[in-house]
Amino acid sequence: MIVSRRETWLGRTMLILLMAVTILPFISLFVTALHPSGTYPSGLEWPESPQWSNFVDAFKVADMGTLLWSSFLIEIAVVPVSLFIATLAGFALGHLRPPGARIILVAFVLGLTLPREGVIVPLYYQMRDLGLLNTRWAIILPLIGLYMPFAVYWMRAHFVNMPEDISEAARIDGASTWQMFWRVHVPLSMPALSSLAILLFLWTWNQFLLAVVLVSDPAQRTMAGALGAFQGQWGTDIPLLCAGSLLILAPTLIVFLVFQRQFVSALLQGSLKG
Amino acid sequence: MNQRLTGRASARREDTPALGSPESRRRAIKARRLRRGGLALLLVAPAALAYIVFVLRPMAQSIQFSFYEWNGVTESTWVGLDNYAAILREPEMSGSILNAFQLIIYFSFIPVLLGLFTANTIRGFATSRLAIVSRTVLFLPQIIPLVAAGIMWSWLYASNGMVNQVLEAIGLGGVARAWLGDFDTALPAVGLIGAWVALGLCMLLLLAGMTKIDPALYEAARIDGAGPWREFFAITLPSLRQEIAVCVTVTVIAALASFDIIYISTQGGPGNRTLVPGLEIYRLAFFNREIGQASALAVALMALVLLVVLPLQRLNREGDS
Amino acid sequence: MVASALVLAACSAPGSNNDAEEPEESAPATEDASALDCGTEPVTLKAYIETGFPLATELFDEFEAQYPNVTFDVREDQFAVLTQNAPRVLVDDPPDLMRLPQMSELASDGLLLDLDEYAAAFGWDTWPASQLEQMRVDDEGRRGNGPLYAMGLNFSMTGVFYNKELAAQIGMEEPPATLAEFDSYLQAAKDAGLVPMAQFNGGATGGLAFPLQGLMASYGDAGEINDWIYQQPDATIVTDTNVQATEHLQSWIEAGYFADDINSMDYAMMMSRFIEGNSVFIFNGDWESGNLDAQMPGNVGFFLMPPVEEGGSFGAMSAPLTYGISANAANPACAAFFLDWIATNDEARTIAVEIGGSHPMGPADAFMPAVAEGSVTAETLAAGAAIGAQDGAMDFIANATGSVYAEGWTPNLQKLVAGEIDPTALLEAVQAEYESSVG
Repeated sequence: MIVSRRETWLGRTMLILLMAVTILPFISLFVTALHPSGTYPSGLEWPESPQWSNFVDAFKVADMGTLLWSSFLIEIAVVPVSLFIATLAGFALGHLRPPGARIILVAFVLGLTLPREGVIVPLYYQMRDLGLLNTRWAIILPLIGLYMPFAVYWMRAHFVNMPEDISEAARIDGASTWQMFWRVHVPLSMPALSSLAILLFLWTWNQFLLAVVLVSDPAQRTMAGALGAFQGQWGTDIPLLCAGSLLILAPTLIVFLVFQRQFVSALLQGSLKG
Repeated sequence: MNQRLTGRASARREDTPALGSPESRRRAIKARRLRRGGLALLLVAPAALAYIVFVLRPMAQSIQFSFYEWNGVTESTWVGLDNYAAILREPEMSGSILNAFQLIIYFSFIPVLLGLFTANTIRGFATSRLAIVSRTVLFLPQIIPLVAAGIMWSWLYASNGMVNQVLEAIGLGGVARAWLGDFDTALPAVGLIGAWVALGLCMLLLLAGMTKIDPALYEAARIDGAGPWREFFAITLPSLRQEIAVCVTVTVIAALASFDIIYISTQGGPGNRTLVPGLEIYRLAFFNREIGQASALAVALMALVLLVVLPLQRLNREGDS
Repeated sequence: MVASALVLAACSAPGSNNDAEEPEESAPATEDASALDCGTEPVTLKAYIETGFPLATELFDEFEAQYPNVTFDVREDQFAVLTQNAPRVLVDDPPDLMRLPQMSELASDGLLLDLDEYAAAFGWDTWPASQLEQMRVDDEGRRGNGPLYAMGLNFSMTGVFYNKELAAQIGMEEPPATLAEFDSYLQAAKDAGLVPMAQFNGGATGGLAFPLQGLMASYGDAGEINDWIYQQPDATIVTDTNVQATEHLQSWIEAGYFADDINSMDYAMMMSRFIEGNSVFIFNGDWESGNLDAQMPGNVGFFLMPPVEEGGSFGAMSAPLTYGISANAANPACAAFFLDWIATNDEARTIAVEIGGSHPMGPADAFMPAVAEGSVTAETLAAGAAIGAQDGAMDFIANATGSVYAEGWTPNLQKLVAGEIDPTALLEAVQAEYESSVG
């Protein structure tokens, strides 16, 4: 493709500008975190003596270890279970195609546009009646349900496009549907599954509304919920808040930078497929 | 932000390769369908159960609660459509819905338009080193919690924050203000946080769509003597119909159902100027304990999202066929 | 699927079958009278308090030191967050001790423990009755009478703090005796290029309610305002004197006496500006006296909002720093014992004054620690006595109903700052919000 030099120059400038706008808030967060706790630094200004100890203080007051553990427990319950049951359903709807598959699919698709606020009030009373308020289960169980529309839709789209003859071949070898599912389809679905796993991981980690409504103890929340609680308590101490926010962001940022290629492709595909 | 995406588009454009004669294949499938029917339903059951219990049942309950006056503790009273009438009557609630629609300008239009423009200018060097680095950078807002975005930006917008610092540096100190505390700027300021979050995703989605367009189309257009503008409107834009529909859908839902950013940055203030339905539902239900009223607003919000998003899917599907 | 979900949900109207879950009115009478303390077994008291004020935690530390079997498990939030969470937390995660926001609905809905039995057992009912009045709520949610649902850590009072250095700079030797005189000092500060008043009014905090209520008491009658706050029949906030007071506040806004970013200023930022010398006056309460004495020793003065005419009536918000016990609390007796200890233990009373800056609760003749001459703590305690003599004590107008602060005062005061509402309309909007919950 022929691109004029002027266009390239304009494009590069725009891209750099966009990147600057994207990254500056992070830098401001970092610089502010180094100011003495309790002060109101003005804008982006390198402190006279950087207070690295703010990070230590924030780590202590936010009880980061507990928070990480809590988020980990929620993830470990939500992601595998969601993946598993969504794969079963996706396989059934996309590959086995029982009578009524279309209606079932439409019922799931309906949930794709659902704003969480639409169900949060009944969920609260449901969790209260189950005695699960203020426990991690109050986040885990609804999240699995809320992920089903997307996850089932995603896995079905994957299985619909899997060539029929793979199953034929397996069937000739005398494999049952179940064996075929485990030995043939699941291994072939790894790319789709891992992308879905990344998406579910991120959404769970960043889930805020359920955490804020259903769980009052930050130590039982997701990371985003814990960050909300941290802001609720320390929001008036800007440097400490910035340090705490950075600490809470750090795990996601690290995981993202390591797996960035997978993240980007999962998110792009996720948007298109959804 | 993109967790509640909708649409029926499939990313794949190539067709599934078909082997074997179509006739025998169709018959085999039919026979198998009957045999597998029971097993298939069994496999769907766990997902369906989770969906029914934690989504459909609460949805139905929201509808049911919305006809009652209930404080969550004592007996409820049937009030018919009163709660819905109140949404129209009370400026607080109707205002929150209008605010949400205004947010669409920032959450949706800005990222899509700016994303289109940027993607179009950089598509020529989409594989360069700079473009690859930009993928990582522009994605950062997508992976952090919206809460964090709210915290960062509240600080940037503060009267002694970076936004004012930059304005003063470029000689615009006169317009500097406490952006989130000003009646005229609070909603746009909050909206721009949403734009910041969505821009990277939209830009990269559109760019990915652009790289799939057949270069022969552009060459043909050039031979016909088309300028960059006509090229953009005649080739690029129509080819991106699906991607644009997706971007708009995702961001419109994010705007209408916004909660996290507002909760953190303004709590709806100043003077309810940034109050959105999500926050109002939360306040009504858990602070005022007007469960019925909160539920009616929740139902209205779900209906509005569907009303806005469904027509978009038509655009999406047409683009597909 | 949708149909089955509907069937599941449609069994009964919400709330019709959960009588069993209603918070029980646990009666201390059923407990052994000798158990009105924390015993000797290890006890963990769950407390939910407001962040940013060291008084409660200092008291907890002292109590833990005196009663080693007791530990406090403390959760802290900013007041606005705490207010929003209160109804939920009291039912579903019941604390033994909680800093209460406005309490009439919390009490009348049965979320708070009725403390009358404890009051009788500990002899709180022999204290000056006015101390406990604001914490009594009848079964319709009216305050002033009825069972006792909370206790104060101390009772605090609000007025005007000023930076003595800056005041001298604008020629203010003595606190103003009239509102007109106060206005002239504000103008002098403005002329001198200083920020006359930084006042928090951002986000969910309508801090202009502080000066507004002071002005209301200067123009009108503190008793009428109390009637409104206590939800007396037909009480209204839209009175001629209140309109005059709001107009006066508006004139301050229009004259530019407030910092121009007050609609985004939170409480901590106001304190920081004042302490750094970036505001001549602030409207605040004596809970900051101890802090200000520590941070700007000798440089802070205090006065009550001056009357319209010299010698005229004036008033001040004076309210207990209320703590309640959840109706479902695990350790109500120990929590009540702690509340009694605060008012009667010498160490605790010393902490209430030195850290809290306010007058402790308790019998009129109880121990009082010595306060340094010239400290702002001494000034606020003296002002408290003056208010008592004037009968000018009012509860806070933001405490009239559970939601009148968040949904009445805050948004409308922010609108007043932005010039989006006029004084009469402001009061009418607040009255409408008030009536929607008093009904």
